[in-house]
Amino acid sequence: MTKDRARKASGNGFVADKTLLKRQSRRKFLKQTGAALAASALGAVPLRGWAADPINIGALYPTTGSMAQIGVGCVAAAKLAVDMINDAGGIKSLGGAKLNLVISDVQSDTTVTRTETDRLITSNKLSAIHGCFASALTLIASEVCERAKVPIITGSSSDQLNKGRTYTFTPFARASQFAKAQLQMSKLVSDQPKVAVIFENTAFGTSTSNGLKQQAPGEGVEIVMFEPYSAGFTDASPLINKVKASGANTLFSVSYLNDLILIVRTVKQVGLNVAINGGSGGFVIPDFYKNVGKLAEGLQGVAHWNHDMDDNAQTVNTEYKKRTGEFLFEYAGGLVAQTYMIADALERAASADPQKVREALSTLDVSSGYAAMAPGGKVKFGPDGKNVYGRPLGVQWQDGDLASVFPKEDARAPLTKT
Amino acid sequence: MLEIVIQAVVNGLLIGGIYALVSIGVTLIFGVVKIVNFAQGEFVMIGMYITYFLFSYLGIDPLLSLLVSMPVLFVLGVLIQHFLIRRVLGPNDMPQIFLTFALSLLLLNLALLLFTANYRTVHTFYSDEAFHIRGIYVPVAKLIAFVVAMGLSGALWVFLHTTDLGKAMRAAAQNRDVATLMGINPNYVFAVAFGAALALAGAARSLLMPFYSAYPFVGQVFVLMAFVAVVLGTLGNVIGALIASLMMGVAESLGIQFVGADSGLIVVFAMLLLTLAFKPNGLGGGRVR
Repeated sequence: MTKDRARKASGNGFVADKTLLKRQSRRKFLKQTGAALAASALGAVPLRGWAADPINIGALYPTTGSMAQIGVGCVAAAKLAVDMINDAGGIKSLGGAKLNLVISDVQSDTTVTRTETDRLITSNKLSAIHGCFASALTLIASEVCERAKVPIITGSSSDQLNKGRTYTFTPFARASQFAKAQLQMSKLVSDQPKVAVIFENTAFGTSTSNGLKQQAPGEGVEIVMFEPYSAGFTDASPLINKVKASGANTLFSVSYLNDLILIVRTVKQVGLNVAINGGSGGFVIPDFYKNVGKLAEGLQGVAHWNHDMDDNAQTVNTEYKKRTGEFLFEYAGGLVAQTYMIADALERAASADPQKVREALSTLDVSSGYAAMAPGGKVKFGPDGKNVYGRPLGVQWQDGDLASVFPKEDARAPLTKT
Repeated sequence: MLEIVIQAVVNGLLIGGIYALVSIGVTLIFGVVKIVNFAQGEFVMIGMYITYFLFSYLGIDPLLSLLVSMPVLFVLGVLIQHFLIRRVLGPNDMPQIFLTFALSLLLLNLALLLFTANYRTVHTFYSDEAFHIRGIYVPVAKLIAFVVAMGLSGALWVFLHTTDLGKAMRAAAQNRDVATLMGINPNYVFAVAFGAALALAGAARSLLMPFYSAYPFVGQVFVLMAFVAVVLGTLGNVIGALIASLMMGVAESLGIQFVGADSGLIVVFAMLLLTLAFKPNGLGGGRVR
C-alpha cells in the first residue's frame, strides 16, 4: 500500500526526475521543484511545456470498517483501471491528459460518507466520482454529488439510485432485476421452490428482498419466510432455527460476508437440506470461498459482473490477479468498466468540466472495449441513469472459482444441482 | 413448537458462554482495579489472530493453543497494568477512560495495518459438526467452547474464594485502603487481576476461533454484549456477569425466534432497562463477590 502510494507520487512529476537532479545545479533544482510544489499545491496553475493537467477522478470506498476487505479490493481495481488508461496514452482529446485517482476512505459509515464526499468535492477539482460499493453509502454520496453537480457512477444496485437524480449513473443490473434472476434460478434447481428470504436490515438488504417479495408470485415461487436481521450478528443459529421451522427448501440470503459465512456454516451444522442462493454482496468475493471452503461448492448467487464474462474481463482479471493474487470480484471488475466509461465520456466531452462530463455520460453508447464490459456487452444510459441493457448474471461456486451459469446466453458453465 | 423453544434456549446458552468469558474479564478488572477496560474486545481480537496464525502456520488446534495463549496474554496484562494503568490510577476517572480507549483504538488500527481487514477463519475437523439429539442439534465447537468457558469461570471463582491471593484480590476490591493497611500490595494484586482478565479474553478467542472469523473489528461485536452483561450482573460481580451473560444469550436467541431476527437485541436491552429500573445495582444486588 505504502509502496504503491510512493510509486504513484513519483509518477506524478517532480520526484521522478532523479537524473535531472544530478545534472542541474542545486539552485536551479530548488527553483523548479519549488515551482512544481507551488503549482501542485494551488492545483490549477497551468504549466506551459509540461504534460496536460491530470484529470481528477474521485474514488469513495470503505477501506476501513466492516466492509473494508471489499473496499480495499475496489481501490486496487480502481488503480489498475487508471494505470491501464494512462499507459494507453490517457485522454487523447485533452492532449493525452492522465487520470489522477483521488481516493477517500468512507469507513463503512454513512455519516463519514457524507462529510468525505463533501470534502473530496470541495478540496479537489473533480471531473467525476465513482463509489461506494454499499448501496447505503452510495445513496448518501449520490445526494451530495447531485447538489454539487458532479457526476457519480456506481455499481450499487439499490433502485433508489434511479429516482429523481440527474448526476447518478448506474451501468449495471438493479436490485429488482437481481431478484427476478434469483427466483428464476430457484426454479431450475427445484420443481416447487419454497423460499425462505433472510436479509440484513440495510438499504441493500431491504431493497433486494422487497424485489424478491414483489416478483415471487409472478414467477410462481412461494415465499414461506421473510425475515430481516440486524447485520453483524454473533450467532446465526436462532435465525437458521427459524428457517428450519418454516419448512423451506430454498434459502435466499441477502447478506455481506461475515454474516453469510456464519449462515452457511450453521446450515451445515443443523444438517438442513436447502439450496442456498447467496445473492451478491459478500457471496461473490474470493474471501467467501477462502472462509467456508468446500461448503461453498454448488452455492448459487447473482452478480452484475463476473471475470469469465468475455475476453476483456479475462484480460483485466489476469492483470488484477498478478497484482493482488486473487480473482477480480464483481464490484471491482465493474469498477474497471466504470472507469473506462468515465474515460469515454471525457474523450467525447474534450473537457474536464464535471457538467460536460455528465452530458457526455448521458449520451454514452458503447458496445465494445473495456467500457462495454457488462453482461450483454452494451451500455447506454436512460433518462433515469439506468443502463437500458443492464442485466444480472447467475453465478455458482465450482471448484473454488465463480462461474457464470445463468441466463443461457451468458452462461460459461452448466448449472450443477446439489 | 417445544422443540423450537428448546433449540432456541440451547443456542442462547451456548453463545452466552462466550459472552461470559469476555464480560467476566471486564467485571474482574472493574471490581478489583476499579477501571473500565474499553480495550477488552481488542484483546479478544488479538487473541483470535494469534490462534489463527498458530493454526495456519504450525497446525496447532485452537483448543490446544489455549495453553499457549492464556499465559502469553496473562503476561501482557501484567505488563500493561504495570507500565500503563498503574500510572493513571487516582481519584480522577478521566485519564483511565482515555487510556483504555486509546489502547483500544491503537490496537484496532495496528491490527488493520498488520493483518488487513480480511476475514480469516480456522477450519478444524469439528468446525461444521454437530450432535443431533431428538431433533435438537448442538454444534461441537460451541459445546466445547461452552464447557471450557464454564470450567474457567468456575476455576476463577474457586481461586477468588480459596486462595490467599484470590482473597487479597477480593479484599482490595472491597476497600483498597483497608486492604493496603492489612499488608496487601495493591500493585501486585491489580497486576494479577489484569493479567487474569486478559487470560480470560485470550481463552474466549481461542474458543471462538473454530466457528467465528477473525477480523480487526471483531472485538467490538463482543464487547458491547460484555458491557451490558457486566452492568446487568452488577459491576464487579463475577458470578453476576456469568449469569447475566447466559441470560442475555437466551434472551437474544428467543427474541430472534419469536420477535424477529432484527430485534434480538431489543429483548436484551429491554431486559437491561427493566433491571436498572427495578434493581439499579444490577441482578447481583450490589454485592461484590
